[in-house]
Amino acid sequence: MAITFFSLGVTLQVLLIDNGASSTRAFLASFVIFSATSQFAYLAVREGGGSDWAAIAAGWVVATRFGILAVSLAPKLPEGFWRRAAAAVNAFDPNVAVAVQQETPRQVEREFWRTTAGMFLGWFSGLAVGTLLGNVLGDTQRFGLDAIFPAALLAIIGNLLRQRDGCIAGIAGGIICLILLPFIPAGLPIILSVFGVAIALVAVRLPLQIQGDPS
Amino acid sequence: MTTLSIVMLTIAAWGQRLVGAFLIGPWLEKRPTLARAAGLIPAAVVMAVIVQLTVSSAGSLVIDERLAGMAVAAVLVWRRAPFIVVVVAAAIVTASLRALTG
Repeated sequence: MAITFFSLGVTLQVLLIDNGASSTRAFLASFVIFSATSQFAYLAVREGGGSDWAAIAAGWVVATRFGILAVSLAPKLPEGFWRRAAAAVNAFDPNVAVAVQQETPRQVEREFWRTTAGMFLGWFSGLAVGTLLGNVLGDTQRFGLDAIFPAALLAIIGNLLRQRDGCIAGIAGGIICLILLPFIPAGLPIILSVFGVAIALVAVRLPLQIQGDPS
Repeated sequence: MTTLSIVMLTIAAWGQRLVGAFLIGPWLEKRPTLARAAGLIPAAVVMAVIVQLTVSSAGSLVIDERLAGMAVAAVLVWRRAPFIVVVVAAAIVTASLRALTG
């Protein structure tokens, strides 16, 4: 897990610096935001010519992922606002996945922080290496770094896409974005892709209704 | 990244978790359909970001070497390859094709 977060941290820093951010700013941004997906979404919209606000909106929509992770984690932790808040703000896919499989609240909390420690180690050392690397790479397109960006995102949501409804929502969201991209301002296609969720819910219900029909 | 964006995205990433844990979570527990819909949002919007990054450049559709890199990445993700393998393979495929065609 530490290795995954290490590579993610390196990738993000190299891309941020390639995008024109200074080393200090790139490091600071990733340090406080601590959300590669939101930062990727922000950069994507900026690169597409979108305004700062459009890019921020896209980052917000993408960050719902974390809110949802916190929803599944919080009730399994020991009682207490501060304990739950401290864990909730550090909710990521891998640590929540490990934690929610534990039986008692205390075990949930212990395994959560154990996984989180590994992630932190990987993330912050990745940020440091990426910041140094970003300054010496030069022309990043030559190294195919622009492809790393979407590939990293795909790997992050891989497990979600393996479920039937997740897969339909993903494909629908992707198609919505593809159709709208050439016609509306950058940022909007990403925000409007949430309607892929509605398509997935309808699509998943259809076969169930046919099965449940006694006639 | 602008300072405004750093502040706003920090609020997004930290704030939405707190809202999820303490406000939305208990409320969603009684509404399973909404909870499922919420769980699907990341799949749809992150995929939209992926599409934009793969087949567009400065607001218009562009098919280039990135698409081949992403096709390889998709197969690797499906085969549950480690994160580092997925991103490095995508970069190598894209860079190699560029070197060949460019």
